[in-house]
Amino acid sequence: MIDSALLVGFAAASVRVGTPLALAAVGESIAERSGMINLGIEGAMLAGAFGAAVGAAHGGVASGVGAAVVAGLLVATVFAAVAVAARADQIISGTAVTLGATGLTGLLAQRAFTGGNLSLPILPVVHVPVIEHIPLVGPVFFRQTVLTYACYVLIPLASALLWRTRFGLELRACGEAPAAATAAGVHVGRTRALAVLMGGACAGLAGAALVLAQVGMFTERMTAGRGFIAIAIVALGRWNPWGTAAAALLFGGATALQYTFQAAGSHVPYQLFLALPYLLALAALGMAVGRHRGPAALGQSH
Amino acid sequence: MTLRRALVLVALLLGACHRSPVHATSNAFKVALITPGSIADAAWNAGAYQGLQQIKDSLGAAISNIEAHTPAEQEEALRSYAAQGYRLVFGHGYEFQQPAERVSRDYPNTIFIITSGQRLSGNVIPLVFRIHEATYLAGMLAGVMTRTGKIGFIGGMELPPIKLGLDGWIQGARAVRPDVQIRITYLNSFDDAAAGKEAALAMIRIGVDQLHHNADAAGLGVFSAARESPGVLVYGANGDQKSLAPDRVVASAVVDLPRALLVVSREIQHGAFTPHAESFGLGSGVIRLAVNPELERLWPTGLAERIKAASDSIIAGTLKVAGQAPR
Repeated sequence: MIDSALLVGFAAASVRVGTPLALAAVGESIAERSGMINLGIEGAMLAGAFGAAVGAAHGGVASGVGAAVVAGLLVATVFAAVAVAARADQIISGTAVTLGATGLTGLLAQRAFTGGNLSLPILPVVHVPVIEHIPLVGPVFFRQTVLTYACYVLIPLASALLWRTRFGLELRACGEAPAAATAAGVHVGRTRALAVLMGGACAGLAGAALVLAQVGMFTERMTAGRGFIAIAIVALGRWNPWGTAAAALLFGGATALQYTFQAAGSHVPYQLFLALPYLLALAALGMAVGRHRGPAALGQSH
Repeated sequence: MTLRRALVLVALLLGACHRSPVHATSNAFKVALITPGSIADAAWNAGAYQGLQQIKDSLGAAISNIEAHTPAEQEEALRSYAAQGYRLVFGHGYEFQQPAERVSRDYPNTIFIITSGQRLSGNVIPLVFRIHEATYLAGMLAGVMTRTGKIGFIGGMELPPIKLGLDGWIQGARAVRPDVQIRITYLNSFDDAAAGKEAALAMIRIGVDQLHHNADAAGLGVFSAARESPGVLVYGANGDQKSLAPDRVVASAVVDLPRALLVVSREIQHGAFTPHAESFGLGSGVIRLAVNPELERLWPTGLAERIKAASDSIIAGTLKVAGQAPR
């Protein structure tokens, strides 16, 4: 059972499954650092998936990725307009945005794609020269699609943005003490709106990963709660892009593991395997309790 | 504050549901369809939607359809159509049986038809599809075609009709290859195509080379996985799915939903219908094995005859397929 080809296959699946989660969660960690908890990223991811399918059908994979980012941004703009500009309750508006995006993408998909088909161009797996030959690490991390590599780049970028720039300092101030940030001359609303938009763009990319790097088509509700899982992953990763990426990989691994267990065939009830990723996340959250709090003004309007 | 409320309201309304409009006079034959998932799944739900279109075209009915994913939405959709005076409401799947029985007490003038339903109860009428008769034949094919001796099944949820189809598939495979190993994965979703694909890839990694599914839109991921895995063949479910991967789909266990829905709607429109459970098997033509002619060249000699003989025996009743549905 433990042979190296199986192990590499399983680990590469973990990275593949973790990629959309990591993309969405890294973006959401920026939004949450600014004090915005955006339950609309499930909707933004779904819109991104739909945009990716439409873009790829009409202009190839590059326009698919572009359209996904635009779709994610559009959904995030709606959330920013309601929750930042109009100061509505973040939880309610985020939920409404997700419900709206679910209905709208479903309706549009019925017009755009009648009958399932798998004719979309999809992203090829790109082998990174030289490092793909490092044992285990190479075939697992460096034989993926460009969206996974984009994720590798986004993680340090997001981290640098939050902790190495003036904008990042202001952004975190908006999440910890918005009144103090205002007193210091920071435009809290604008900063938060920008953070939400960055989160939306990342969620759009996550949707693109589902369609263009995995399935090769759009189906209604195909995100299946991944946006909400990404929000849990942000907390698990303690509002830090690196921690978030690690948590996404853990979750991807647990998901890939449950498919492997079910496929391997055993007498353990499959429901236990289905629950495995969630049980692991709960255990990890439990261990993290008390060691770190989220941004003090998270979820508070200003 | 009004802006805030208005924006939230608009978003909620958009998300609530989408349904097609009804243009009809008050005394038209009104038929509604409630599907538990996307009608773009190229299988279970798509077939019912085609049936609804044919009911409009052939019977001149006024039609409407809606997707309802959760039990609460499903009961609400049944109640809402009945309240609007629909003569016939299709609840498309086993999961509609209990909500329909609750709703039907309040609406005696509406006939509720539950596809893959369990039992006759007042004006709640089940359509029983003996899909296991066709999956038995697909299982025979898989048992013959497998090189590794491992075949796999990916299910949306472990609902009785899905279990029944799986039982037929296993029995058929074992009939031709008693030592065949069967691997089963449930996704707990009919929408998550990425999960369907990863589950299929996990099976392929451990050597499964024949895959069957019954997971609606989530099952589309299984075809995506097969397309990028050399030597892996797929068997479709509920609709003829060969177009999803023409060089990989050997056959599909088909429920001819348009035909079944049209037959029963016509009886009801003409008033010729007395409440009874309608059961469809291979003999009715509603259930059949749709073979992909492009892959028939892979069949060993004599296989076509064996499949035909098994089909004849099932129709004649001399070959019993596991878990025969009641009646």
